[in-house]
Amino acid sequence: MKDLKHLYYFESLLQDANNELVRQAQAEGKLAIGYTCFHMPEVLLNLDKCFSTRLRAPNMGSMEIATYYMCNGSCEYSRALLERAMEGNYQYLDAMAGVDLCEAMNRCMENMELLQIQDPNKKNFFWVNTDVAYSDDEASVKHTVEQLRRKLLNKLHENYGVDISDDALRAAVAEHNEVCRLITEIGEYRKLDNPTITGYEFHVITLATYVCPKYLIIDKLRETLEELKTREPDKKPNHRIKVVVVGSEIDDPDLIRLMEENGALVVADRFCYGSIPGRQEIILNDGEDVLTQICRQYLQATECPRHCAPHRVQYRYDHVAQLVKDYKADGVIYEQMKFCTYWSYERTLASHVMADEYGIPTLSIDRPYRSGNSGQLRTRIQAFVENVEIKKIKARHEAKMQEVK
Amino acid sequence: MKYFGGCDVGSTYTKCVIIDENGKIVGNTTIRSKINAELSARDALEQTVAQVDGLRDISDLAYLVGTGYGRNKVPQAQENISEISCHAMGVHVTNPDVKAIIDIGGQDVKGIAIDSDGTVQNFAMNDKCAAGTGRFFEAMANAFECSLEEFSNLSLTAKNVIPITAQCTVFAESEVITLVGEGKPRDEIAAGIQQAVAKRCFVMAKKAGAKDQVTLTGGCAKNTGLKNAIEKVLRIKVVDLAVDPQLMGALGAAEYARQKGME
Repeated sequence: MKDLKHLYYFESLLQDANNELVRQAQAEGKLAIGYTCFHMPEVLLNLDKCFSTRLRAPNMGSMEIATYYMCNGSCEYSRALLERAMEGNYQYLDAMAGVDLCEAMNRCMENMELLQIQDPNKKNFFWVNTDVAYSDDEASVKHTVEQLRRKLLNKLHENYGVDISDDALRAAVAEHNEVCRLITEIGEYRKLDNPTITGYEFHVITLATYVCPKYLIIDKLRETLEELKTREPDKKPNHRIKVVVVGSEIDDPDLIRLMEENGALVVADRFCYGSIPGRQEIILNDGEDVLTQICRQYLQATECPRHCAPHRVQYRYDHVAQLVKDYKADGVIYEQMKFCTYWSYERTLASHVMADEYGIPTLSIDRPYRSGNSGQLRTRIQAFVENVEIKKIKARHEAKMQEVK
Repeated sequence: MKYFGGCDVGSTYTKCVIIDENGKIVGNTTIRSKINAELSARDALEQTVAQVDGLRDISDLAYLVGTGYGRNKVPQAQENISEISCHAMGVHVTNPDVKAIIDIGGQDVKGIAIDSDGTVQNFAMNDKCAAGTGRFFEAMANAFECSLEEFSNLSLTAKNVIPITAQCTVFAESEVITLVGEGKPRDEIAAGIQQAVAKRCFVMAKKAGAKDQVTLTGGCAKNTGLKNAIEKVLRIKVVDLAVDPQLMGALGAAEYARQKGME
């Protein structure tokens, strides 16, 4: 396929946390609010003059110092962020909005705070750490609302004079929804028999929407969507099978590229930093407090395995099976960043459940933070592709034989 | 007569097998891998081609498949297939009754379950470190200052097993040196090493679904002490193959080449 016009530009935005659009927005007087997790509602970090920037650690090298402060058994994402923080890569932030979700990220944030990684000249800088409820019932919604209002919204208002009114919230939701609509429409092209966008391209675009001020990137998203309407796919598909990727944080498009180089086209991204969930619109009514509506929708949409109530677990299994159907995938790759506690349980169980109970071919992998060059992962993925492909061919052959009979 | 080639470029050894239209092995080579995977593959292929009367050059092969970590570097290969699929096919054409494999290569260990047609039913694979692989045995043999072959037979006379607690190759080597220095019986230390690796294989074999019998492939399959230890730990029979188990990846690749080339 012909290269997407803005792909190189989107890729360039992923080379540095403090990328050119972040710099531009700050030069225009905007406030950069860092965050790391879906459970910190992104839309709240885009209120008024704020913009959200979801933290990544591009160009990560050694993690020696972060490993000293944390330990070898902490997930590499949290260590990579701490290492890059100590190297001064997040000094552009005006606030850091964390959540009390997992031990590793708690320790990462705690160390960042103790080591004072922020720019000392930013006198109004503040840290947030909110509880995350384990369920999605109304008591959990109420608790989340209280946490976010007290620890995040009030602080934004007190420290920076940010407008936190319902009108401002509605304006942020409107902007968020436009990005979500665009990403969703772009993602629809992955459902085609011969998709006109690769998983790698889609992941790069989605990541760009997480790390850049929305208002500065939205035009490029619109143009990309227009371009896709007439983009011609390769006559002979480059992939051998289609897969849904499910699992923990992936902010490294090279991992998706590695899968695709080995024949597995990634058609659905059900992982942290992907679009499912994360790029669904927030639907507001006029009768209820806006913050409550936002919090409820985030709690109901989460697919984090931290939510271990039986109905949430079942919802995740069913949703993956539905994605396989909707995106015409041949299998699922369950991936987990090494030492991610929640996903280690989910991956182990779900990879059996999907294969045995849903009959969906499943590959289960664990991986380091940067894994685009892993020879072992290449072998695993290629073997999975060969296995699924040959079974597809056999099934077609048997169906033909039945027809003849 | 058409001939079909399979070239398995492993991290430690490069293996090549050529078969004829009937699947009969007509040539094979095993050489130490060089730093350049392409050169290793070319060397192995040229040596194997020279063994077959009807062939003068690599390009005379009707179809060639590359496998192993350097599978995409095999010169003139029409295709590359993962070593997991190739080991399954290699064992299947050698002994169709065997349904499970433990493949111990130079840098990883894999458990593979085979379907009735030689394709992979399921697999599990270690990664990230060299514990329990060919590299591990090389390090251990070095610690004992003996050859790999001598090391593989050392444990056979052991009356007792001294457990090795460290799984990491570097730490295990240090632990072994300490035990040797303390004057502990060498054969019993060696038995401990074999048992440690066998336990690792147990996990892979169980993950892949091995039930009543299993075979070993890869260079470490020639390690008699390890074979005995695996039989004890897994409590299932380890089946010997009629063909050199180190050649299974290359043989499977050649068989895939034959199937594709005969289409």
